[in-house]
Amino acid sequence: MVDLAGPLLLSILLGSLYTLMALGLTMTYAITRVPNFAHAEYVTVGGYVAAVLALGLSGLLAASGLAGVAVIVLASVLAFAAAAAVAVGGDELVFKPLTRRGATSLHLLVASIGVGLVIRYILSIIVASYDLLVVRSPIDKEILVTVGGAPFTNLHAWVLPTTFGVVIGLHVLFTRTRLGKAMRAMASNFDLARIAGIRTVRVRRWTWLLAGGLAGLGGAFWVINVPVVPETGWVILLFLFAASILGGFTSFWGTVAGGFIVGFAEIMGMSLLNQLFGVSLSYRPMIALAIIVLVFLLRPQGITGLTMPDFRALARRLHARLRPAGRGT
Amino acid sequence: MPVDLTFLLPLVATTFGIFLILAVSFNLEYGFGGQPNLGKVFFYSIGAYVAGALTAHALWALAGSPADIPFLEDAGGVVRFAVARANPGAMLGLFVASLVVAALAGAAFGWLASYPALRLRGDFLAIVLIAVGEVTRVFVFNYEPIAGGVFGLSGVPNPFAWLPPRVSDAVYAVVVLAIAFGVYIYASRLTRSPYGRLLKSLRDDELASKVYGKRTPRVKAGVLMIASDMSAVAGALYVFYVQTVYAGDFIPLLSFIAIAMVIVGGVANFRGVLLGAAFMTLLDLVTRPVFPTFFDLFWRPPFDMNYVRYLVVGLIIIVVLMFRPKGLIPEQPVETAALQVARRWGKPSTAPKPTANAPRRG
Repeated sequence: MVDLAGPLLLSILLGSLYTLMALGLTMTYAITRVPNFAHAEYVTVGGYVAAVLALGLSGLLAASGLAGVAVIVLASVLAFAAAAAVAVGGDELVFKPLTRRGATSLHLLVASIGVGLVIRYILSIIVASYDLLVVRSPIDKEILVTVGGAPFTNLHAWVLPTTFGVVIGLHVLFTRTRLGKAMRAMASNFDLARIAGIRTVRVRRWTWLLAGGLAGLGGAFWVINVPVVPETGWVILLFLFAASILGGFTSFWGTVAGGFIVGFAEIMGMSLLNQLFGVSLSYRPMIALAIIVLVFLLRPQGITGLTMPDFRALARRLHARLRPAGRGT
Repeated sequence: MPVDLTFLLPLVATTFGIFLILAVSFNLEYGFGGQPNLGKVFFYSIGAYVAGALTAHALWALAGSPADIPFLEDAGGVVRFAVARANPGAMLGLFVASLVVAALAGAAFGWLASYPALRLRGDFLAIVLIAVGEVTRVFVFNYEPIAGGVFGLSGVPNPFAWLPPRVSDAVYAVVVLAIAFGVYIYASRLTRSPYGRLLKSLRDDELASKVYGKRTPRVKAGVLMIASDMSAVAGALYVFYVQTVYAGDFIPLLSFIAIAMVIVGGVANFRGVLLGAAFMTLLDLVTRPVFPTFFDLFWRPPFDMNYVRYLVVGLIIIVVLMFRPKGLIPEQPVETAALQVARRWGKPSTAPKPTANAPRRG
């Protein structure tokens, strides 16, 4: 009997977390043209802030229900703030000056690798000095209800509403507010947006604040599950890129869909492969690679705007490619 | 305690040689060809896996594949070392064969990498190649037959293991340096040839070089193959130096070190690469845990010194990109025969005018 309920719940959880974190990656690429490899480090920063804070407070507050809630809320808010500060700082110090000097997307990518290294290793030096290199948050995963034999944990109860709220909130931001419309204008045509009087510098700052903050929020939830180490963010980053690229790298709803597809492919897909064919679960990251490579090579614009004829065309292309050479047309 | 030079010099020389090959190959791809191969570590690790697996299995076969000793564990490594000490000729032959096979494998994977390289923009290609490197590492880390998986494959002896220990290190360092300078000279001659100018034209304006009838896809695939087989050789040399293959070593940071080496010295510039490789070797040495003991210092910082190394790598990348985008030594005009003649006449850029004391033809 193939176990479906467990992987299903886990996929939803992971998909939400990926969505939460990948939205920022998409925003910074779409609005400021930075393919941001430092995004991973915002997750790590958020994770450390949340875990250390929870560790510090756990002695003060008894692990009663309400106190636990307060700790999680406080940890999330602080993780958001810390990661947002790091993201805005990185942009002000590096990406913005580089963009002003006309750096190409590739230069910004290389610079973002540098920024990521600096953030990660300053963080590592700090946490190692305080002997906090591997931190396990005292907030544990608790099973609230069992659905079809699968655990619905407190993590689900936190992450799913948060992601839902963030997605709806961003949707409202992008469609109903001046700031969000300015962001979309900058994403579609920077020069035109500037000519139209949009304060691009200010919008840029808000973009990085939101992007970093959401990554930090994701990190804060991530550490409820697993201990945080300096490489936490880097390991997640490939999946975030997969989610974002699957959505077309510049599309909001595309990223939401991409995050869930990656989450499902990783958990459901691997779990099915494992249960049916005995593939080891440790090959999970290969799913992300397969998604990145296939999407880039077959459909660089991602899944957004796919219609039925597109699927047929895609199938034809795949078929043509797989057919042995020299036969047919 | 004076610094132990018989330990220090081979260490520095080997590191420098491996870094130099990596930097030269990245410079060839990125500096000249404009292909941002940020998955450098992937090709490097291919060389390491191929050389390590080939040598270990061949030595195991020479030992008669003892059934009672586990191949992967330390005891197996000891057996392989014993075989290598007893058969100098076989070990040297294996070393050369490993380098050749690693180079071929690197070239093959470089050719495969040209498939995305022909179809993607620079930044997207970089993402794909980083992802390929990461996933290969994860795969090999979990798949034992290639390189021992989580435990690594120990017992890939130094090719001169039959010499006394310190002597073998020194001889090996000389061999690595010789190969590195061979690669360096080959690459600098290559880029001064018409092929080098073709690469630069591709980097600067692909459409224009197409208009002139250059077959750009072939050139791109070619440069990726050449550079990747160089990286694979560097990986193979690394394996024989550390004498184990461990998938966990091949983290993307190595690719980032290659970037830092090239951009700090200046792209498309081989003197800059020498500078970058020397700088990175120094940084590597200073941040090794063994370094303070050279000065009788036994103080240890509360953190891993590797953090400082990578922090400096990140800072270099940022600072160079922001304040010295052309690197410390900017790109020089292509050294052609015509340029040399022009320089003899005076200014390099203006067309030479025959003057009274100019050499006359005929």
